[in-house]
Amino acid sequence: MNPDYYGRPVLKAPQWGTSVVAYLFLGGVTGGLGIIAALADPKDESGRKLRKTARYTALAVAAANPAILISHLGRPERFLHMLRTFKPGSPMSLGVWGLLAYSATAAATTVLEDGRLTVLQALLGAYLTGYTGVLLSATAVPLWSAGKVHVPAASVCSSVASACALASAISCLTGNSEALRKLERFELVATAGEVAVLVHFSLTGGPRVGRFASRVAAPLALALVGNLVHVPKKHERLRTLLTSALTMTAGYLFRKALIAEGIASTKDPGAGFRQPE
Amino acid sequence: MSETGFFTDTTLCIGCKACEVACKQWNELPSDGFAFTGESYDNTSQLSGTTWRHVAFVEQVAVDPAAASPIVEKWLMMSDVCKHCTNAGCHEACPTGAIVKNEFGNVFVQPDVCNGCGYCVVSCPFGVIDLVDPIDADRKYAVANLNEARRDNNQTAIQNNGGVAGKCTLCYDRQKIGETPACAKACPTESIQFGDLLELRERANARVETLIARGIDAQLYGAEDIGGGIGPLNAFFLLTDRPEVYNLPVAPVLPSTRQPAGYAAAAGTALALAVAGWAIFRSR
Repeated sequence: MNPDYYGRPVLKAPQWGTSVVAYLFLGGVTGGLGIIAALADPKDESGRKLRKTARYTALAVAAANPAILISHLGRPERFLHMLRTFKPGSPMSLGVWGLLAYSATAAATTVLEDGRLTVLQALLGAYLTGYTGVLLSATAVPLWSAGKVHVPAASVCSSVASACALASAISCLTGNSEALRKLERFELVATAGEVAVLVHFSLTGGPRVGRFASRVAAPLALALVGNLVHVPKKHERLRTLLTSALTMTAGYLFRKALIAEGIASTKDPGAGFRQPE
Repeated sequence: MSETGFFTDTTLCIGCKACEVACKQWNELPSDGFAFTGESYDNTSQLSGTTWRHVAFVEQVAVDPAAASPIVEKWLMMSDVCKHCTNAGCHEACPTGAIVKNEFGNVFVQPDVCNGCGYCVVSCPFGVIDLVDPIDADRKYAVANLNEARRDNNQTAIQNNGGVAGKCTLCYDRQKIGETPACAKACPTESIQFGDLLELRERANARVETLIARGIDAQLYGAEDIGGGIGPLNAFFLLTDRPEVYNLPVAPVLPSTRQPAGYAAAAGTALALAVAGWAIFRSR
């Protein structure tokens, strides 16, 4: 006797593609840059320079986000319908308002350079790094729902690591070596955190999670190596830029694999029969 | 006003698909294509954004090597439909407020509000709601041709423009003028019964008792709280086998129940990283 209905899946697959992957990645990066701007020490020259770098980059990335978000809608001309209501219980609704609030704050901080606004931007930025993880795990999609703790935690780590990588690359090119040293250490902590979360997720989540994690394992491992390895001084610049590229690639692939394997998991017949609490 | 719903008694279904046809006709839903699946008499396969009733045919045979011919073990039919959950995943997820609970307690997608973000699709524990592909201009229907109730609801014509989410409306337009939903009206065996929810539940319980007395292993699916935070279903079913056999989840969960754990995990991680970051950036 067949355990399922002609191998037909119970659940519907998300119709989300590259634009959603790009949004998840860039939303996290801009949020992470908001955190970096608040952490940078305003008492020294390198810290002030880093703060400026983080603020401007955060604003630029935040400005690109709505366009990507709108492009994935079935009816892009109805984007403003998102703003006719505020539903804190819907991660999508809260996220749209969060993104708007973040963008407004990012613009204000860049212009006014106000301390309290910087803290507000960091708090909203922290929200942006994590809410996309909640948005995915609070669905019926088998892969995402299996990681109600892991997916949001890994999203935060991945976002912060990618933001560090972007700020590192810019600091490297602009010669802010003091900030670069600190950014790379912070990037290492975030990447290590992401690896720890994903390893735990793989060990507890079964083969489906293993398949997902294997798609991000290589760039993540290489990024870790890039952060830890010592090279001759003349190659230092190359190492920094390569490591930054690897970390950002890992961040993008994390979202891409999450979406792709999430879609695959909905097509697994019987996967929706018993849904995780 | 009391809530309305569907009681679908699968023991009475004869697999005629009149419900599928009536639904397509009334709601002016385009075809999902034409294919022979080889899966018993089921060439519809599943509910979709433009297929709001789906008759499942469970025809499973166990081959007995000792016997001359395969023995039919199961021959079941069920007209599947949106469950119209008390706590509906799609309703909670919708960021535009396009998905509402109407005055009949049914889950309704306002097609002129929906912007096609697709978040309801992944938030349905039953895999019902789906996005409708944009539909060619020559297949659009003129609003002028619709009767008054339907024009007021802005229901069908805009639905057919596509790019939005679609699912069973429980014939909101027909209910508004006191009519029975199209599928229930067309059902020749009263396998699909429409009416007051409390009355339907009473009728369903009586039917289960009758069937059990006749030695049939009947059970209700969703007449009472189905668990997982979803509550009772306004469209519930009488089944004679395990829910999985009909491709229904046996333990569905309302996705939003995972949000507190998710937000806590994100906040905890962000706090830990912030502390580490403070130590790195502010150390002298």
